[in-house]
Amino acid sequence: MSVTETANTRLRDLRVNAERWTRKAVHNPTAFLVEIAVATLSLVLFSAVFGDVGGLALERAGFGDVAYVTYLLPAVLMQATMGSAFSSGMGLVRDLETGMFEKTVVTPMSATAVFAGKAAAELAQIVVQLLVVVGLAVAIGANIETGVIGVLGILAICLLVGLLFMAVSNVVGLLARDEEVINAATMLFMFPLLFLSPAFIPLSDDIELVATFNPITYGVEAVRALVLGEDVLTVVSVSWFGGVADTVVPAVGILLVLNGIVGAIAIRLLARASSASVA
Amino acid sequence: MAHESVATDETDIDETDIDGTDPERTDADGTDTDGTTEGQVTDSERAIDIDALSLTYADGTRAVQNVTLSVPQGEFFGFLGPNGAGKTTTIKVLATLLEPTSGAVEVNGFDVLRERTAVRASIGYMAQETSIDTELTARENLMFACDAYGVPRGERATRIADLLNLVDLADVADTPAGNFSGGMKKRLDAATALVHDPDLVFLDEPTTGLDPQARNRLWEYFRRINAGGTTVFLTTQYLEEADHLCDRLAVIRDGRIVADGAPDELKRRVGGDILELEVDGTDRAESACESVEVAADIVRDTAAVEPSATVETTDDAIRITARDAGDLGPDVLLALRDADVPVTGFDVTEPTLDDVFLAIAGDSADGLDGTTEAVDAAATEEASGEDAAATEQTSGATETGATEEDDNVVQGTGVEA
Repeated sequence: MSVTETANTRLRDLRVNAERWTRKAVHNPTAFLVEIAVATLSLVLFSAVFGDVGGLALERAGFGDVAYVTYLLPAVLMQATMGSAFSSGMGLVRDLETGMFEKTVVTPMSATAVFAGKAAAELAQIVVQLLVVVGLAVAIGANIETGVIGVLGILAICLLVGLLFMAVSNVVGLLARDEEVINAATMLFMFPLLFLSPAFIPLSDDIELVATFNPITYGVEAVRALVLGEDVLTVVSVSWFGGVADTVVPAVGILLVLNGIVGAIAIRLLARASSASVA
Repeated sequence: MAHESVATDETDIDETDIDGTDPERTDADGTDTDGTTEGQVTDSERAIDIDALSLTYADGTRAVQNVTLSVPQGEFFGFLGPNGAGKTTTIKVLATLLEPTSGAVEVNGFDVLRERTAVRASIGYMAQETSIDTELTARENLMFACDAYGVPRGERATRIADLLNLVDLADVADTPAGNFSGGMKKRLDAATALVHDPDLVFLDEPTTGLDPQARNRLWEYFRRINAGGTTVFLTTQYLEEADHLCDRLAVIRDGRIVADGAPDELKRRVGGDILELEVDGTDRAESACESVEVAADIVRDTAAVEPSATVETTDDAIRITARDAGDLGPDVLLALRDADVPVTGFDVTEPTLDDVFLAIAGDSADGLDGTTEAVDAAATEEASGEDAAATEQTSGATETGATEEDDNVVQGTGVEA
């Protein structure tokens, strides 16, 4: 059996599993639609309620010419990404509970392809959600300076954040084996991480230190750099690349490192759960 | 049963089926499948070959101890035992979901450790708990299984249609499986285990929790699968189920095989048919119980009752277990009438597998620790000395000889099944 054949089999396994999870989402689109609805509400409500206050804060922080809805967009994209990514562990726990996990393990499919396929389907759903949110934001006055290329970059950064929280959610799922726990974890992670970052308003001095250790800070500022077309990174100062890259490069680097660490833990736990073991 | 010939006929077809279904799977892990020179022919005729399998869980529970077992191709094999006996552990080792602590296990000629992917491609596995995706329709569940086992695209439509017909789900093929009843879900689960036309199917307590009608339909379905040449390895707590379906049985308790044979053969080990006489002697003796004992003595003295027969008593009845117990009836009834013992009921029954199980279990009944209701009843009812004779015979005939060592076995450890 040649290397190409193995690769083909793996690719087929990946596609098969991506199809399964996409089909499930199509049959049962509630979670998918709720995530879009929540993002829409956030976009509309936050800009309506905090618009004036936000405007003042932006002026003080030197973003005087930026509309609040434009400033808000990266925050809402992060929120939608995290919300969707956290449901990854839910699917896993449901599979563990219904026996579908074991049933999949006992097939000749490659375990790596099984999980990669599921992740691919989940990332694809996040992309669709983000595109809807970006479209809505632009429709109500947000402005993306870097255009279509920028939107692609924004999606890529969101997917990095998505992968990170999918890994977190799977780790929680494998340890707790309980959907309720993942639900609780979603709330526990999302709110502090969003508010202890420059997501909604520019960072105050009080939380700057905390925000430095918050992955969402890097996600939100990298996206914001692409939305505004300028270097916006506040927590660390980088000036080797010039312009947008001064924010995007270090932020993506940090997100990649975090993905490597949490991803390795998730993969280890998944491998342990799916390999034949001495119980 | 005609499975001998079926098995030989199927051998060649099965071999090509493995390869034909999905060539890249069988040798996917690149292991050498021709490693053995000796016994190769025998191996290919055996669906399952377990040699001295033991599995000890991390918590020290010895779930399976020194089990040796082989199942020829085409057989409908039953693995019978109470909760926690080690049935599921064994089936999970065979399905590559658990690694043996020691011993060698081959499935369809492939080693479960070294040729895991080849084993997985050649078996169907139906777990104890219904495992279907409730968010997908019946057809989509089958389609996913086809994808997972690499069923060639051209064959899928017919294969899925055939299976849907076989399990009577054709009219609800496009309904989400979440809307199905328990029995329908089980049937769909069974169908998904068969999309790749495997040589061997594992069914782990497939009818647990089903109503009798649903159970009967599943039985019918399993018989059809087996008639088509597929080897079936079924575990069950239901003796009736094993009796109905299986060509051959192994009885497992506390991780050890305690008996092995065809259902009829096992029934014979109980010592024959059972003649049950209900007697009412309350007006003659102080208690019904006493009068039963008196009647039993009369029965024992009857010339027609051979010494090899066993005579037991319950509160209001006498149970005589003997070859051709029915023929004893007239003599016994006459003897009781002469002694003025009124007989209120008379029944001759063939031994059921329950009786077989009780005979085996009775050997160490005092060690039983509430494994199942059936066994519990046995322990209390059959702990009497009378039963020991029948049990001796049974254990003497077991092939594994495990029963003799049973006293050393830790009893009722609550093994995770």
